[in-house]
Amino acid sequence: MSFLHEVVFYTLTMSQTLAEKFYYLMKLGREFELRCKEEYLKGNISGFLHLAIGQEAVHVGAVVGFGKGDLFCPYREHVLALARGIEPKLIMAEMFGKVTGVSRGKGGSMHLYEPRLDFYGGNAIVAAHIPHAVGAGYARKLMGEKAGILCILGDGATNNGTFFESLNIASLWEVPVLFLCENNQYAIGTHVSRSSYLKDLFLKARDYMPSVQVDGMDVFEVYRAVIKAKEYIEEYGKPYFIEALTYRFEGHSMADKGDYRSPREIEMFKRRDPLELLLKRSLKEGWLTEEQVRLIDKKVERLVEESVEFAKNSPEPSEEELYSDLYCGVCSDVIP
Amino acid sequence: MLYRDALNLALEHALEHDHRVVLLGEDVGFYGGNYKVTEGLYAKYGPKRVIDTPIAENSIVGTAVGMAMMGLRPVAEIMTANFSMLAMDQIVNQMPKLRYMSGGKVFLPLVVRMPQGVAKQLGSQHSQSLEHLFASIPGLYVLCASDAVSAYHVLLYAIRMDDPVLFLEHVLLYGVDFPFEPLEGFDPFRARILREGRDVTVVSYLKMTHDVLKASQWLEEREGISCEVIDLLSLRPIDFETIYGSVKKTKRLVVVYEAPKTLGLGAEVSARVSEELFYFLDAPPLRIAGEEVPIPYNRKLELMAIPTPEKVYAQIVQWGRRHGL
Amino acid sequence: MDYEILMPQFSDTMEVGRVARWLKKEGDFVERGEVIAEIEAEKAVMELQSFKRGLLKRILVREGQEVPVGRPIALMELGERIEEVRRPTAPPTEERKAVPPPIEEAPKVVPTKPPERVELPSGFASPYARLLAKEMGLELEELQKEGRLPSPAHAKDVEGLLRERYFTPKALELLKEYELRAEDLIRALPDRKIDEDTLLAYVEREGIPKRLPVSSVQKSLISNLSKSFVLPHYHIYEVFDLSQIPWDKDITLTHWLIKIVGDAMQFFERLRALFKEDYYLLYPHSNVGVAMAVGEELYAPVIKEVNRKGLKEIAQEVRELKKKAEEGRLSLEELQGGTLTISNLGMFGIRSFDAVIPYGQVCIIAVGMQDEKGMAHITFTFDHRVVNGFHGALFVKHLKEKVLDRNYIRFLKKV
Ligand SMILES: Cc1ncc(C[n+]2csc(CCOP(=O)(O)OP(=O)(O)O)c2C)c(N)n1
Ligand SMILES: [Mg+2]
Repeated sequence: MSFLHEVVFYTLTMSQTLAEKFYYLMKLGREFELRCKEEYLKGNISGFLHLAIGQEAVHVGAVVGFGKGDLFCPYREHVLALARGIEPKLIMAEMFGKVTGVSRGKGGSMHLYEPRLDFYGGNAIVAAHIPHAVGAGYARKLMGEKAGILCILGDGATNNGTFFESLNIASLWEVPVLFLCENNQYAIGTHVSRSSYLKDLFLKARDYMPSVQVDGMDVFEVYRAVIKAKEYIEEYGKPYFIEALTYRFEGHSMADKGDYRSPREIEMFKRRDPLELLLKRSLKEGWLTEEQVRLIDKKVERLVEESVEFAKNSPEPSEEELYSDLYCGVCSDVIP
Repeated sequence: MLYRDALNLALEHALEHDHRVVLLGEDVGFYGGNYKVTEGLYAKYGPKRVIDTPIAENSIVGTAVGMAMMGLRPVAEIMTANFSMLAMDQIVNQMPKLRYMSGGKVFLPLVVRMPQGVAKQLGSQHSQSLEHLFASIPGLYVLCASDAVSAYHVLLYAIRMDDPVLFLEHVLLYGVDFPFEPLEGFDPFRARILREGRDVTVVSYLKMTHDVLKASQWLEEREGISCEVIDLLSLRPIDFETIYGSVKKTKRLVVVYEAPKTLGLGAEVSARVSEELFYFLDAPPLRIAGEEVPIPYNRKLELMAIPTPEKVYAQIVQWGRRHGL
Repeated sequence: MDYEILMPQFSDTMEVGRVARWLKKEGDFVERGEVIAEIEAEKAVMELQSFKRGLLKRILVREGQEVPVGRPIALMELGERIEEVRRPTAPPTEERKAVPPPIEEAPKVVPTKPPERVELPSGFASPYARLLAKEMGLELEELQKEGRLPSPAHAKDVEGLLRERYFTPKALELLKEYELRAEDLIRALPDRKIDEDTLLAYVEREGIPKRLPVSSVQKSLISNLSKSFVLPHYHIYEVFDLSQIPWDKDITLTHWLIKIVGDAMQFFERLRALFKEDYYLLYPHSNVGVAMAVGEELYAPVIKEVNRKGLKEIAQEVRELKKKAEEGRLSLEELQGGTLTISNLGMFGIRSFDAVIPYGQVCIIAVGMQDEKGMAHITFTFDHRVVNGFHGALFVKHLKEKVLDRNYIRFLKKV
């Protein structure tokens, strides 16, 4: 498989359309989140707001690479949702708590849901969504579907018992799940070296399933690894693990200054800003022209602006909304 | 003094005077605690006594249980009560049972601290008051604190106790500045009467106590209704003696709590009062509590879902009108 | 002691078991773990293994017999196998009877005394209202039919009715003053309408104290007094010759003293000072407070700029302030700004006394009674933080001279 794969993959990934797609989504993610930050500071967005600035290559590379299939994410999921194709304005409206938001204003930043796009939310309980992904994979397989599940999780989540339980079950039951650990090196203020015995997190999964480590600042590398993993889980119906090394440029959430990290450390990682890496490389290799970039930037700017306008002008939920959506109140008509 | 600083003071006092005291939890050490309750303690007492743990709630409480069995006096922090649900095995099946099952041979001088409650737009999974779950478990002590004085004294008392204690804080209280002075002979098992009154006994705890005090002020000024406000510091056991004494005087009971009304702590308090003081009641007990929904993100809906001083005021007035106040 | 083999509990719901079959007979030696019987319980048959080694000495329960869990079904003699075991004589049936299975005890019903019954009058009312009605002998339902009580009725309604029925309006007012509960009085003085006199007689007989509220004025006075009493202060006691002061009913000795003291203060800036921790605030004019009792309260309104005012003007102002105080109309403005206060109790025949400096001021002058020669004891209390002993003494000395200065007094009388 491998040689042929490399060739196919080479022509595929290096294509200009791909670079354009990556740049568009990562730029959209970046600008969208910067705007979220601004709106948060203005008081239009409240609660916990976790930004993925610095981690866009992982999110975009993974979602684009994975293609069709269900997505289970933690609370840092704006860029994942955008990459999956949820309209920016629906996400922004959600964060404004408006009834037009993807979760009707009831979820907020950490809880974006769009099952029509196979997007099963951000979850605010660390590691809680990992077994969901395993169960979902089992269900898809049982129902004869092939696509598999993409489960994004943080480095901190890999220290939780649920994580190990899920690895075991996924392998035992042969469930087609791609576990993608975005190792941004911190769980709030605790560095991975102070919370994990194994410093290379992909080692935690290696005894259960194929497990690799990639540079999460390079969107192509993430993409390549995910394509390969997807092929594996579709072909064998078994799980796969990727650890993507990355870094978050902002604090853990808006409530966290992130000042437990030295400015030197932050500077070092910012020099490998995934968006800039992509841009430089694309221009250099001729995958993107300056003009294209300008057009994309413009489009992104417009989209973000529109999303804020839409959110602002959307209505608040009515009072009845408090009790709606609690139960669906329907019985299965299949079971006699 | 800020509520969080009072807690910090109690922890520091305990660490300073008893070398068996250790703190553990997510981000409690180097980072100083998610709500900065343990700030400065890592620097002063080092990583062996102020222990950063991985995100593993069940094991945080579980290891603390083991430490306590061997004679340490661990104070475990669960970042918020929402996450303590991942430690329910340890909290429900282990902490309260080991001493009993061993015929009193095992000691568990252990405190598990956690904040709870609805803050502002944190969403359903981060906005819960769960005291009733813990308060229904025999073998646990469930203590809490509503201001700096009680925070300091109750927490210190909890650490001194040789039994397992669950200590609840409220997220919205951390940044509130309260008058503070250390008291002699503080007893957390005695409820505090924070305001004397003739007409209605209002029982509450944690942040709701402050909402009740505010509403009581309005009730007095605008309606001439005089409320006796009781602040519970112990949710298991509950100081019924103080409550009964007050209700015998006022003939009316209101319980205010943030959790959904069904099966909350107020259900227990009203049931007990109805059982014990039925003939003293001039009105049915009233519970003012949260709605029966997860807390929504939208601020308007969020405020609809929980008691506020305005609601406490309005509901007491309404109920009073119906029932001869 | 023989070892008892008990009917085992194979599940937590099993209550009785039947011995289906004995696999050992009396006199057999039983190894540990050997099956000795089959027990039937809850539709299943289970093997009963022996936990001990020893001789199965006696079987207590026949095959097919059902016994409760925990009951002995056989006896064993523990120990090693002895080949020549005593041949067990087949146990006589009598002997078997000698060890009867204990008789099932009937659950004991502890006789308790019959529970007390709370009998309440019928009617639609709160529990407490009904209890009250019962205690007071009211027919709730009747009263409700007559429309004299609402439905549902609450304690408030019942109490209201009781009050109306048993008390005159005047008596009701007194209830409040003495903090009495209507129910208690009705109980103590049954079968009659209670009027003012009955109530007062009752109060006197029972020695019940009357409630005297502390007015807000009094409250602030108390708090100020407590604050200023602990400040460092000292007294100077002097006897003054006031024989030269021609006071009368219109212009009283107090008015004279206000003027003389006010003028004297002009020479002593410390007496016109307010203490502000890091500095003193020195007022240019002499603002003198006058202590006056009005009803139950003590007021000390301030005459401003005494040094610029004439005696008559001062006398007039004091009278106005007094009137205002009596009518409760004194403004905050009129109560503030003084640095020294004069308190005169001479008219009550008090010879000499100390006073507490009003909070924030620096001196109070307590004036006693003038004797027949015109001499009076005057006590000065100074705030030591502002006026030290030296200044205090100079001030007192200056005043002593002034009250004897005939020219000055004659001059004052004119303006
Ligand atoms: C069960 C549970 N415990 C604790 C928390 C609080 N918490 C929220 S995010 C977080 C850190 C998670 O770190 P990581 O998995 O590395 O994800 P990252 O935030 O770095 O993306 C913690 C401890 C939680 N949400 N859920
Ligand atoms: Mg992380």
